[in-house]
Amino acid sequence: MNPINMRTSPLLSGLFQYLLAIGLIAFVTSVFIFLRDGLDTTLIALLYLIPLGLITAFWGLVPGILSALVTFLIFNYFFIHPYYTMAVHRPTDVVILVVFLVVAFVISQLVGRLQTSLAVATSREREATQLYELSTALAGLHNDHAIAEILAKQIQDVSQGEMVELNITGQQPFAFCLPNTTPPTRAPELTVPIQAARGTRGEILLWKAAPDISSGEKRLLQTFASQGALALERARLAQSESRARVLEESDQLKSILLSSVSHELRTPLSTIKAAASSLRGNEVSWDSPARVELIAAIDDEADHLNMLVGNLLDMSRIESGVLKPKREWNILPEIVESVLGRMRHSAEEHKLEIDVPESLPFVPVDYVQMEQVFTNLISNSVKYAPLNTVIRIHANVEGDEMHVQVSNQGPQVPPEHLERIFDKFYRITAADRVTGTGLGLSICKGIIEAHGGRIWAENVPDGLAFNFTLPLIWEGAPPPQLPMDSELE
Amino acid sequence: MTNAPHILVIDDEPQIQRAIRTILTEKGFRVTTASRGEEGLTLAATNEPDIIILDLGLPDMDGVEVCTRLREWTQCPIIILSVRDSERDKVSALDKGADDYLTKPFGIEELLARVRVALRHSTNRQGAQSKVVKAGTLTIDLAWHIVKRGDEEIKLTGTEHKLLSYLASNHGRVLTHQNILTQVWGPADADHTEYLRVYMRQLRKKLENDPERPQYILTEPGIGYRFIADE
Repeated sequence: MNPINMRTSPLLSGLFQYLLAIGLIAFVTSVFIFLRDGLDTTLIALLYLIPLGLITAFWGLVPGILSALVTFLIFNYFFIHPYYTMAVHRPTDVVILVVFLVVAFVISQLVGRLQTSLAVATSREREATQLYELSTALAGLHNDHAIAEILAKQIQDVSQGEMVELNITGQQPFAFCLPNTTPPTRAPELTVPIQAARGTRGEILLWKAAPDISSGEKRLLQTFASQGALALERARLAQSESRARVLEESDQLKSILLSSVSHELRTPLSTIKAAASSLRGNEVSWDSPARVELIAAIDDEADHLNMLVGNLLDMSRIESGVLKPKREWNILPEIVESVLGRMRHSAEEHKLEIDVPESLPFVPVDYVQMEQVFTNLISNSVKYAPLNTVIRIHANVEGDEMHVQVSNQGPQVPPEHLERIFDKFYRITAADRVTGTGLGLSICKGIIEAHGGRIWAENVPDGLAFNFTLPLIWEGAPPPQLPMDSELE
Repeated sequence: MTNAPHILVIDDEPQIQRAIRTILTEKGFRVTTASRGEEGLTLAATNEPDIIILDLGLPDMDGVEVCTRLREWTQCPIIILSVRDSERDKVSALDKGADDYLTKPFGIEELLARVRVALRHSTNRQGAQSKVVKAGTLTIDLAWHIVKRGDEEIKLTGTEHKLLSYLASNHGRVLTHQNILTQVWGPADADHTEYLRVYMRQLRKKLENDPERPQYILTEPGIGYRFIADE
């Protein structure tokens, strides 16, 4: 319905009702005048009650009563002797007139009241239906935005206003408008606060031409507002409940972390303590080969401790979202070689097969973080794959992504665990069988995802493979071509 | 003993001070310690040390700030101490004039190697620089732009020569990406790390005996490169 039509139609339809009523009375009167001589005055009075009843029934109490008065005058003028005067001569005619007036009034009253109460009942029923629809729509919503959207839609449906705006306050205040996104410049015709038990949660603004907002509509809007408030309150409770659950889970994780970490930290510490104290206490003679070994143990275990602390730091950085890669165009083979150079010692009992061609394009990655990813994946393979098996590193370009695979000939992982091995502290084997913090793979996941890539594990025919992708497009640009190609031989 | 090089250690952790002091004194250096930035700046001005070892995490001021203020008046070599994962701080301290860095925890050989390099460079600053750098079988003649492996001359392009000369004349020191790019390519290309990656790879292929396990051109992850020559 367009707004101009809406604003003018009540006036027109009111006028139109009266015109119709007058027309009906005029029509009936002309028929009666035509039949006047053949009909009894009393019968005419009775017959007049029919249009009166109809008028009241169709157009309401006020037109009914007005028509009754008009009819009374017309009846007197046209049908009571002497005709065409308002004078009354016969006493019976007086009685007829009085009775007619009383009966016409009573009928109008009765029919009118019935009409009004029917209208009230209908609108109550409609309100109840709308309210029911609203509460059904709101049920189960735990999101402020979704609630506001539903509420605004329902209000718009019910009020048929020009515009509805919902302003929701709270930690993240926002406004929701229907059907447009910008409200009209004039002040809203109706403002209803959304009042919850613990303070105001916002307000409903309605733009609609003034005569159209009935008290019923106001009441309905208020009810809508309180339904909305309830829904918002419920959403908040649900959120704080889930927050409490997350806290509880992170508490559990923390205790797992503490037990895992203290176990992990104590192992190298015990070695260091034992070695250092035996050296200090002169238990080992100065020139014994054991002395060299003890000193090497202290050095190695200190490095191990340092690595553990580094892992923990990385993890906490990933968790708190501060691990921001410092991306630069890098050469993947350089990163892989540098990692292998450092890991040669720890991976010396495995065969490494490297297939990372020189011809690969530059990758936009953080050099240090990528080293970390390769280090963790290779050391995971070294840890689980049997001695003298092959660890293979392969990289190739697929579309606008670099695809890297680190595979080993170690034990396969049951399919249901493939995704979970990237969770922190997740282990398939018992914690006391393998050393490590249980953080290596989840750190890889954190780093790869911070680079906009994906990481997954899969079983391959002779073992397990870790795959990850790295986007090659960085800040909208593809990898640069080799600079000054001609100069490079 | 008064001629022994004097080292100023600015670090707020007593354990680290104790360890460094013990080791360096044992090696014949004179050691002064400061636990705050301001104190360190004062001692640097009054004692005129030969080397400053500076921790980046000081209680009263930022280590990079100390570095900047030292560089306003002294060319004394500065070795940065910092923890892992603070590459950005290290790079900004190096770009602000620090000479080298050590990541905690560090081995004592590393510390001594850095100190030796720093001392050599501070003498080089005063006197004439050696014109020929030897590294393993490599001989690099900086004046004549001749590079030889054994007796065999290695052909380098112009940019490769410039790059190698800059690395070799600063051998032992860490050079940041930005530093190398600015010196070799010019300030306009200071952000093009990829140039560096390509040329370093190219240089390694020509110079290193096993380019996959470089001995001369070492990568300092996230920081830059270091050229290792004979002492």
